[in-house]
Amino acid sequence: MITKQLIEQIEGEATLFFDTKDGLVESSTTSFENFRGVENILKNKPLFDALVITPRVCGICGHAHLMATVRAIEDLYKNSSHKIDISDKAQKIREFTLIMEIVQNHLKWIYFTALPELFKLKNIDKNSTQLKGAYGSSIISKAISVFAGQWPHSSYMVAGGITCDPTYVDILQAKDYVDQFISFFEKESLGVDIDKFLAFESCKDFNNLDSDVSTIEKLLIELKMNEKGFAHDRFIILGEHSFTKPSKLIQTRKYAVNSKYVTTEDSYSPNSKSYAKNALYKDEYYESGVLSRMMSSKLSPIVKNMHRRYKDSAYTRSMARIFELVYLVKYSKTLLDSINIFEPSCVEVTNISKISGTGVGVVEAPRGPLIHRIDVENGVIKDYEIITPTQFNIGSSTKQKPTPAQKAMVGSTIAEAKFIFKTFDVCSVCTTH
Amino acid sequence: MITKNLSQQTYTMPSKQDKKPKLLWIQGHSCNGNSHSFLNLPNLENLIDNFEVIYHPILNSTHSYQEVTKCKLNCDILIFEGTFDYNLKRADISVYEVLKHYTQDAKMVVAVGSCASFGGIFKEISPESCCGLVFDKDKLTPPLIEQKGKVINLSGCPVHPKWLGFVLTAFLNEIKIYLDEQLRPVELYSSLAHHGCSRNEYFEWKVDSKNFGLKEGCLYYEQGCRAPMTHSSCNKILWNETSSKTRVGTPCFGCTEPDFPRKNLFTTQTNMSIPQEVPVGVSKRSYLTMAGIAKTFHIKRLEGKLIDYKTTD
Amino acid sequence: MARISKEERKTTIISAALKLFSERGFYITTIPDIAQKVGMSVGNFYNYFSSKDILAKELVIYISNYLGDNIREINEEDIHVSEKIYKIVSMYFDVANDRPEMIEYFLRVYLSNREVFGDGCEGMICVSPFVTEMMIFFDDGVSKDELHNQDFFSAFGLFMGYLGGMVFLFGEKILPQPLDDYKESISTNIYNALKAR
Repeated sequence: MITKQLIEQIEGEATLFFDTKDGLVESSTTSFENFRGVENILKNKPLFDALVITPRVCGICGHAHLMATVRAIEDLYKNSSHKIDISDKAQKIREFTLIMEIVQNHLKWIYFTALPELFKLKNIDKNSTQLKGAYGSSIISKAISVFAGQWPHSSYMVAGGITCDPTYVDILQAKDYVDQFISFFEKESLGVDIDKFLAFESCKDFNNLDSDVSTIEKLLIELKMNEKGFAHDRFIILGEHSFTKPSKLIQTRKYAVNSKYVTTEDSYSPNSKSYAKNALYKDEYYESGVLSRMMSSKLSPIVKNMHRRYKDSAYTRSMARIFELVYLVKYSKTLLDSINIFEPSCVEVTNISKISGTGVGVVEAPRGPLIHRIDVENGVIKDYEIITPTQFNIGSSTKQKPTPAQKAMVGSTIAEAKFIFKTFDVCSVCTTH
Repeated sequence: MITKNLSQQTYTMPSKQDKKPKLLWIQGHSCNGNSHSFLNLPNLENLIDNFEVIYHPILNSTHSYQEVTKCKLNCDILIFEGTFDYNLKRADISVYEVLKHYTQDAKMVVAVGSCASFGGIFKEISPESCCGLVFDKDKLTPPLIEQKGKVINLSGCPVHPKWLGFVLTAFLNEIKIYLDEQLRPVELYSSLAHHGCSRNEYFEWKVDSKNFGLKEGCLYYEQGCRAPMTHSSCNKILWNETSSKTRVGTPCFGCTEPDFPRKNLFTTQTNMSIPQEVPVGVSKRSYLTMAGIAKTFHIKRLEGKLIDYKTTD
Repeated sequence: MARISKEERKTTIISAALKLFSERGFYITTIPDIAQKVGMSVGNFYNYFSSKDILAKELVIYISNYLGDNIREINEEDIHVSEKIYKIVSMYFDVANDRPEMIEYFLRVYLSNREVFGDGCEGMICVSPFVTEMMIFFDDGVSKDELHNQDFFSAFGLFMGYLGGMVFLFGEKILPQPLDDYKESISTNIYNALKAR
């Protein structure tokens, strides 16, 4: 029988249609019913206006959109024989603010999604510590605004580099905010200092911990989330960064990738019109986001250990998100230390009205690859295509060829399936741009 | 530009509440930017404790949005985020119906963000059916034109968390909120984004910035900075208690004004090298006279680098 | 006898000074010369202008205001830019005809003796009223799509350089026709060069 469930507070809403037998999900489809049409809004606008418009696709990952836009613009310049070489300094500062946005995203997932949903599944009426997520994120936002001026919705990345020209006062201020966050996170969320946490080798290391993070780990095991939520065990990373490189993984075997093979198709949603499109790589569905990046990274033996034991279960996926948060926070300080403030912030670029052609910008957003493809004539947008990570994970397809989220929800109860759905960290606004 | 005078629109306080006032946060077409901006409010926990949150897109709520759409509840403060669209349904229910129902009993309706205030970016989804709650750009309009006496516009893209914090705290403390003609609190929107910009001296002496990414120069002449024409407190009440757009060399895009977003946001529109728009309330003649004189003088300190690292050897 | 105001006195001095500078030359003319022409003592003269340098600068400001006020009147008329150009050219040539000492002072004294004006008249300060009105003229023309957008100095140089050049030739008595006869063609040339494409 088909049950309709509205899922709320996923940066918007979505409707899931579950086909169950004996109380367990056999298949499902997902429908995203809102549509804004940012790609249409961008048509015929001057190209640089996209730097202001695309961050407004999403309130929680607008920065990733900004970076995808600026990368697409710089790719366009390259394809029109006006290659731009941005300085290392600009590259690193862009990377730093992107990383910080990923960190606040994962922190919010822990406190606004993971903990409350796990308690609900266990029928525990625990008084929420949600606002820890808001407080921690506000510190991260301060670190971002040292360079970006504000968060959310900054446009400090422009063709040629960045608009800010920081001094050591700024760099050290940003570092101080990161340290403030680390103190807060260690005390309020981890229950142990981050170096010790990153040295964990297996799930057993959580046994002596008593914190919000260890609670999540415990509840995931108690709810048998390590035996559920399996997707295709296929992963993809497309954004090129200092903290992750493009590749695809079939289980643990790594292969090269190229974003040009990403295509989209209309959702299969027979019960309700959906405006979301599924994203495919060479006609297959791949999981994107935290688990993909942690699987491909050399830094994370523990996530690979978890994968060895529990494959791409909801447990592994959730724990990967927590570990990525901690790795990135630690890495961000190294990044700040490596910045040479004497390099130029922004190089001069040819007047955009002289530029025509196409460009692609790919970024690892919190939930996975974000792709912006542009077609420009004399500095004016002819066509703008945006493909978001939730389209990779939470597509809606047929029972015979399910997307990662669809596959992951098979065999659970509806209540469990809703949680498993959220372990992919859904962003409704991005999907319905 | 609509001229400002202390308007007849003031929001007056209800009598003291016995229990916690109910706060409901609903959306039209939105990116959730205002919701996330609000989460950055310092001391959010203490503020939120004073309310019963019926529904919020992110925070713990006493009801689901689905329950809210049944229109059986009521609220004291209704917050609306995103562009209003007559054709929009969320959770299968018309947003217009939900808005109409909850506006009735609400003592205060707050349009957070420029989309809800004037239409903003997402008005461009469908210009004929999308608008703000009381304004369509700079013209008065339904849906809430009849109830504009209880509407406050907190324009901005997104809204600054402290501006919303101010309105909610004022409500709790029964403080009168004075509004301008665009229904924005005068105490937040009377200053210009220009006030407090760290590049002011470059503006005074007409030293334009040669490119992005430099500490030196004013962004008004070539990089399209709208700060002298934009009502906001961004350079007085800093973002994230840390900075602002212009302080990091990004031009102000005028996001609190009804005409946001404009076109060619990173360029100053000039006619024969003369800026098309001059600061609010200043006549072109006055501005050009001053500018002409200032431009005549070459102040060496202002034309060189702000920090000369070489002398520190 | 009605009391003459200080302002009127000042204007009288200015007119006299301009005439003398024009007839005899700037360096040759002395303060006593001017005072005598106006019929006042040298001591009293210094109550109005404390030095020849100060007088020299005030003259530029005076001319600038005079021309600026006239252009402002034209700017404020609700007519097409081509008509405004004609009126500005006309006004300028009329001044050259009726009060040649004004334009002559500007071209032959102000522009040619920058050392006199260096301190206190840097750049365009003293001609600000006039330049501001020309800025208003250009800004208005472009925003109404009647003139094409270009760099300010390109347009300003074309307009003012042209007028100054014609008046200079007139002063040298090289022009075969009266200045008036050139108003039409000059205005048309200026309009054709600056108009919207």
